Amino acid sequence: MEFLFGQMLGFAVAFADLVADPWTYVYLISSVFLGIVFGALPGLTATLAVTILTGFFGNKIPLDYALIALLGAYVGAIYGGSYPSILLNIPGTAASAATAMDGHPLAKQGRGAEALGLTTTASFIGTLVGTVALLIFVWVLLLISKNIASPEKALLALFGILLSGTLMSEDLAIKGWIAGLVGLALAMVGMDPILSEARYTFGWSYLLSGIAVVPVLMGAFAVPQIIDGLRHVDVGKMVELKGRILPNLASIRRYLPIIGRSGVIGTGVGALPGVGEDVAGWVSYGVGKTVSAEGDKFGKGSLEGLLCSETANNACIGGALIPLLVLGIPGSPPAAALMGAFKINNVIPGPTIDPAIILRVVAIMVLASFTMFIMGLFTARVFIKILRVPQTVFLPLVMVLTTIGSFSVGGGLNDLYLMLGIGAVAYLMNLLKYPIAPLVIGVILGGMFDETFRRTLLLSDGDLLAFVSRPGAAILVTLNVALILGQMPIVKRALTRMKGRTV
Amino acid sequence: MDRFEKEKALALAQLRARDFWSALALIAVALFFLWKTSGLSLGVHSGAGVSSAGWYTSAAVVPFGIFGALLVLALVLLGISIRSGGAGQALSAIGLGWKPKEARRIGAIGLILLSYIVGLVPRVDFILGSALLITALICGFHSREGRGALVPVLALCLAGGFALLVYPNQADWAQSGDDWLTLALLIALTVWHQGTGGRDRALRLTPVLALGLPFILICAMAFGFRQNVPNRGGLIFSKIEYTYYVHLRPLWRS
Repeated sequence: MEFLFGQMLGFAVAFADLVADPWTYVYLISSVFLGIVFGALPGLTATLAVTILTGFFGNKIPLDYALIALLGAYVGAIYGGSYPSILLNIPGTAASAATAMDGHPLAKQGRGAEALGLTTTASFIGTLVGTVALLIFVWVLLLISKNIASPEKALLALFGILLSGTLMSEDLAIKGWIAGLVGLALAMVGMDPILSEARYTFGWSYLLSGIAVVPVLMGAFAVPQIIDGLRHVDVGKMVELKGRILPNLASIRRYLPIIGRSGVIGTGVGALPGVGEDVAGWVSYGVGKTVSAEGDKFGKGSLEGLLCSETANNACIGGALIPLLVLGIPGSPPAAALMGAFKINNVIPGPTIDPAIILRVVAIMVLASFTMFIMGLFTARVFIKILRVPQTVFLPLVMVLTTIGSFSVGGGLNDLYLMLGIGAVAYLMNLLKYPIAPLVIGVILGGMFDETFRRTLLLSDGDLLAFVSRPGAAILVTLNVALILGQMPIVKRALTRMKGRTV
Repeated sequence: MDRFEKEKALALAQLRARDFWSALALIAVALFFLWKTSGLSLGVHSGAGVSSAGWYTSAAVVPFGIFGALLVLALVLLGISIRSGGAGQALSAIGLGWKPKEARRIGAIGLILLSYIVGLVPRVDFILGSALLITALICGFHSREGRGALVPVLALCLAGGFALLVYPNQADWAQSGDDWLTLALLIALTVWHQGTGGRDRALRLTPVLALGLPFILICAMAFGFRQNVPNRGGLIFSKIEYTYYVHLRPLWRS
């Protein structure tokens, strides 16, 4: 109980500091607005919003303000994706794909305004659920993580890459792992962290300092989006909005248990390393369909279905920040971009992170969700107008934003060449159905993996048993092996046979 | 089998045929980097005033693991592709087939981005270069489905190619010949776009967006965030910078 009070007190102080600073509102309102616009425009994603703002604000303003801008955009973009899902049947972001299943049928029934109002409320509550979980669990995990040493860190990084590769792959899990390995390989470029020996620089002095994170983020997430999006897309007819967007309290009260359940699911999925808001939305939608009394109405215009996905994808944000802050492993692709911002500010998320940063993140999340809620309810019609802007007009502008953002982070023209190269590779990978998120997570975690893996061997005089001699490490080895074995056809078949026997 | 299932089966066959090629490419990459890694010392090594303790602290240990694993996974992918019939179809239209329209679209965007990043950004005024990029992309890909991308591509390639070939060395990047050519091409492309483009709001807004956004961005970066910006000696930006520091800033500094 004392722990909880201590936490609440710390949060209250951080929140009061934030509220009392007038600059907070400048960054927060503009970033949440920008985030909703990015989310609402089909063709732009939450990851892209956070990535572009990392290029802009990552190292140009103090980290305290940069965090406001990045988290505000993150929260806004995940919510903003619901607009085109409901009104156009086109998910604005991957996270809102499940929202379109029920949102659009509701809009066609003339209940679009009601759907938007409830979506806004559910997203708001979902973000708060994730944030409360972040406030509580981050400290519990931080206490545990004090015992994490090099073997566990190396195995956790590997687990994050493998899990992200497995869950983010549309096709074969092996493609996700390959993408993760390519990311790890990119992270090996430059001076090695223990002996300072140059690796794979090919005589290019720029590469001695390693592959910079921001150009990789821009190349991996922005360039393929621009290449793919520059085509004529008939957005179809927008469903006209009738009625008021403000939700009524009776509906909210009625759906509160569903919102709560979806919030918990979203937070849990978000806490898994490398798994994004889209997975959270679909998992929550699937659970809702199974347990709900009106499960048969899902997909035909069910408010429950809509709330399941929309609450979960916003709750996922708080969840995704837990592994990021505690272990330095991004919980989702936008969190990977956030990790980039931490890195360029020389802040290393993990067990040694300054507790004040965590409290500030929680306070920003709460304020950002309030801002999103107010904007969603009172300025929704502005965002609906923005939906009409064709992607062939705004994507060229995004290219210029990406260029100057990437240039100004530090590496100048070399960063731009790197961005273009990574962009071309990422576009090809997209075409061949290799997921991009594991690649980025591999680049971010590669340095940590290399250093901690070799340090473990150094401390044990090359004894590989060091990776199983500690209980935490042994559990992580088991998880990694199980994850790989679980994808093998022979094991899958055996598991199916066993399941059949028990049924 | 209905049409949807047929399309799905065809898409999977195409993917497995392409997996065959991507697996071969990955095997080549993994082998190349395994060979490169073998150049790093794996035993006891001294360098930069630091001595390694043994093979286990070598800079090559983790890369060997990564590229070894990549080789194994690429071989597994190759096996999956061969078993699914991908190898048989790899040389057929399914494996190699490109939709000509899509190939033209991607080729045009690739050329435009390459000319912009490699040719224009380092050498040409950022406002002019970015305005030409925005105009070319809107002009080529907005409401001109399958036609009209040739003129914007030519304009960008001409501007980028000229800058790259005439001013290849960094010492020459501040010269303005390429800026004037880019400006001329921007005006010509804008006139052509306004004359031949589809009549909508985007057409009217193109020049405003093309010049307005890069102007705001570069001013915010240079004077707001005080960051490095591309080509400070550019035709327009050098004038803006001069006006800002000589005429405007003293107004509030004094």
